[in-house]
Amino acid sequence: MSATYILVAGDARIGNLVATAVGTSITAVVVGDRGVAEAVAASGVEKVVWLGDPGATPLEAFAGQVAALTAAARPDLVLAPSRPADLVLAGAVAARLSAPVYTMASAVRVADGAVEIDRSVFGGIARETLRIHGPVVVIGDGGEVGTDGGAPIEEVTGAPATTISVIETLPPEHAPVDLSKARRIVSTGRGLKDQGDLSITARLGEALDAELACSRPLAEGVGWFRRDRYVGVTGQKVTPDLYVAVGISGQLQHVVGARGARVIVVINSDEKCPYFGEADYCVVGDLYELVPALTAALTEAN
Amino acid sequence: MRIAVAYKWAPNPQDALVGSDGSVDWRHAKAGVSEYDPVAIALGRSLADASGAELVGLSVGGPDVASPMAKKSALARGLDRAVVVADASLQGLGATETALLLAALVEKIGDVDVVLTGDSSIDEGSRMVPTVLGGALGWPALTDVRSVSGTAGDLSVERNHRGGSQVLRLTGPAVLAAAVDAVVPGVPGVRDILAAGKKPVEEVALTALVRRELGSSVERVRIAGPEVRDRKRRMIEGSDAAVAAHEIVAALRADGVI
Repeated sequence: MSATYILVAGDARIGNLVATAVGTSITAVVVGDRGVAEAVAASGVEKVVWLGDPGATPLEAFAGQVAALTAAARPDLVLAPSRPADLVLAGAVAARLSAPVYTMASAVRVADGAVEIDRSVFGGIARETLRIHGPVVVIGDGGEVGTDGGAPIEEVTGAPATTISVIETLPPEHAPVDLSKARRIVSTGRGLKDQGDLSITARLGEALDAELACSRPLAEGVGWFRRDRYVGVTGQKVTPDLYVAVGISGQLQHVVGARGARVIVVINSDEKCPYFGEADYCVVGDLYELVPALTAALTEAN
Repeated sequence: MRIAVAYKWAPNPQDALVGSDGSVDWRHAKAGVSEYDPVAIALGRSLADASGAELVGLSVGGPDVASPMAKKSALARGLDRAVVVADASLQGLGATETALLLAALVEKIGDVDVVLTGDSSIDEGSRMVPTVLGGALGWPALTDVRSVSGTAGDLSVERNHRGGSQVLRLTGPAVLAAAVDAVVPGVPGVRDILAAGKKPVEEVALTALVRRELGSSVERVRIAGPEVRDRKRRMIEGSDAAVAAHEIVAALRADGVI
């Protein structure tokens, strides 16, 4: 049977990865406190290798040790969730195994001594299927915490890098936003002229009972939104019932993040804007008139 | 202290043409210093200025990487010098191969205390090169780095951490990937571009590196265009906003999404 290793850094949400590896012998390597190891052990894996309580040591400091013990087992497939510390563990494992590493995979199949991966490439402009002989590391959406079985936990003594230590940790100023579960989203782009004008999309959001989001320049460029509210290849991937894009031209980087929406409404003054090519309703006109009018029509209809 | 910045010379996929069969035509996509790499160079420049260190740019890739345009664009952003490996066989390398080569380059130039990278590249966007590079060098890697200060053997690093932030101390070498908005890099001016023409660039032959090969064989069995849902693409004329608004509400009702 093929062997899969799943790398976990401090967050037990690996349900999707376990589902991906069903049919193989799954070992999870866990860096984090005992609670994480126990939750992973109840996620449908066969065995958990736990590197002990990390205390105040940053989880990334265990990357070398995770790489050494994972490489020693020669797994066919290594999976890791797409979260910052997990990526560091995955990178160390890929380096140790000289294994190729792939992100943006939509499907992974293990068969006949090879691993096949369907993935989108170049930010979503195309797709490819790869067949890999030899070890491979795949980064995927971790999903939720699994609930299946109670695998044994083998504790090994942690030997983290000693050149890295935490001086101070500051909690988030705001609760993080998870747009992936939002049913409706109103998203704003550079078509808006002034930060004060965000009130008009905010009112539309209220009328629709929608979460507010934006395209990347509004978060990373002008800072009108926090970074966890931008939708795109490098931002949030969303799958709402309704996605209303206001003043967003349709740069691929953005469009890919909302392709999973059931219905897309695009409001733009430029009838040639690329986003109309991937919209259900292409509303051509002045957003400063259309958005308040739409808000009024929704309020009236309610 | 010697600070290295790994940068990529890459085109924007936005400008590539994709056939319905998934073939990608890059001819119309102009290459540049990959979008987030100037952030890493700017972070490195501040650290180098504050600590008296040298700032060396490192890049591996196809022949373009050694073009006058590529060299100047990178150096004009504030590097002291650059060391590049340009070879036709390196066009379109994956994250692991790129990182293994960069590691070999870091080892070849020697005495590097810290390697900075951008968050991700504009074309591949995997975010994995800095983490594989850290693994290959046996150095800790940190991502989402907001700021870095100090001197070799005693660096203070602030990074985004679970929605908040964290300050770490590093007493050895490390690979640090800059947060996308760690700093807003300036646009190089005429003076920067002229100065860049005088800065040294060393081309290292691929054969001069101790290179680790990929331990797996990769075969591409299929390519396809993007998976795009069939959309209605119904045009709604918005010159009368109230009329358009009612049309939208009626349509969304019919679709059952409001």
